[in-house]
Amino acid sequence: MLHRRIYQFFIIYLLGLLVLFSVKYLLDLSDYVIPGLEDLAQTFRTVFLRYVSDVVDTISVAVIGQVISVFMAIVVGVLGRQTTWFGSFIKVAAYNVQAYPIVAIAPIIFILFGDGFLSRLLIAAMICYFPILLSVISIMSEPVHDIEHFYRVTGRMRWQLEVKIRAFENLNKLTTVISGSATLAMAGTIVAEFIAANAGIGYSIRIALYQSDLAKILTALFLIGITLSVYQGLLEIAGYLVKKGWASH
Amino acid sequence: MFLECQNINFRYPNGSMDVFHDLSFQMKTPGFHALFGPSGVGKTSLARIIVGDFNDYSGVVRSEGMQNLLYSYNLERLPDWSSVGKHLEKITPPSLRDRKNELIASFDMAETMRLRFSQLSLGQQNRVNLIRYLLQDFHLLIMDESLANVDERTREKIILGIKDMFPDTYFLYISHNVIEVSKFCREILVFRNSLKAPQVITVNGQDHKLGQTVSKDKLEQTMLEIMHAS
Repeated sequence: MLHRRIYQFFIIYLLGLLVLFSVKYLLDLSDYVIPGLEDLAQTFRTVFLRYVSDVVDTISVAVIGQVISVFMAIVVGVLGRQTTWFGSFIKVAAYNVQAYPIVAIAPIIFILFGDGFLSRLLIAAMICYFPILLSVISIMSEPVHDIEHFYRVTGRMRWQLEVKIRAFENLNKLTTVISGSATLAMAGTIVAEFIAANAGIGYSIRIALYQSDLAKILTALFLIGITLSVYQGLLEIAGYLVKKGWASH
Repeated sequence: MFLECQNINFRYPNGSMDVFHDLSFQMKTPGFHALFGPSGVGKTSLARIIVGDFNDYSGVVRSEGMQNLLYSYNLERLPDWSSVGKHLEKITPPSLRDRKNELIASFDMAETMRLRFSQLSLGQQNRVNLIRYLLQDFHLLIMDESLANVDERTREKIILGIKDMFPDTYFLYISHNVIEVSKFCREILVFRNSLKAPQVITVNGQDHKLGQTVSKDKLEQTMLEIMHAS
């Protein structure tokens, strides 16, 4: 899983570079617009360590934001699975709120909480929260009739058992959703840093943008991609281990 | 203890035709009874009306003296997070531990107790499912093709075993096998389509029990009655 994600990223990144250099040489663009390979390698060596530290900073915020989102989405999703007015309210609210581009309210968060850690965390968590919530609600609201029937008719069904059955039957879907939400959390954090924060790889990209330094941006993109691939690969492995462990006890 | 349905009228929501029109029958004695008829005549619908799953019907269902009415069907599954043995252990009341072992032996399922549900054959899955229902406290158990995919010999052994173990309990066995219902069931409700009146006709079966023999002529006679009724 992990190695597949990494080499898939390498292929995509190299294809991207290939397109970029094709454009450069076809349109005869200067090194100022698209740097040459030598410039790129030089910049890579110069900023590598600083950017690694920035990416680690960003992924830390993204991971914490994602953990908070997953936890909240599971709690609210479990409550929202019910066919009561409260469950319906949560579903309707989630569908409506997720339709709004969360990133558009980022400036309000920066105004209220400043340009530090908390703002980045909040935006990261909010961006990946609603997609996870909708998936959890959809999984938890769908009865697994073939399994649940016995427990219902014999009066053994408790909410814990219901959640356990539905989670177990949809573990692959849940793992995919959680793994996919890592991209959203990372994107949320980078967007937050890009808008107004004072740390992280998004902040470094913003500076590189002001300097029109594509080599720095390409270096940052490489580090973001490789880090995210490793993180998603690890999440998939964790999901696989959870399923294996659950099915064998 | 008896089961009675009077003038049941039922139509599926958005359905254009009645599934039941003035359907009535009575079952006054416990034992192994059958609902028999072609697919789509309403056997499962009636079963679900009896146990209270469907409420949008008119008419009266009386289950005098019966508190627990259970409906089981052949597509049910057990969760795969532990072995079927552990599942059975968990749902068996302490007073029925011996009964559980007896059922496992009589259903030829001892070898499969360490396996997970998904590792069993379809016939084994249906047998495990039936065992867990038989370990509950019930007065009526509806078995909707609960022995599908089980070979004939094992099915006979299981039905005779159930009749022997639960002589005072009501069973409603939904099956398409005319020989089986004729041989093992006490009363057979033969379903006809809703345009015919009466919609069900009760035929007496041979009610074959452990240690008895069945007269071939009588069995054929019952089968003919069923075919004639339908």
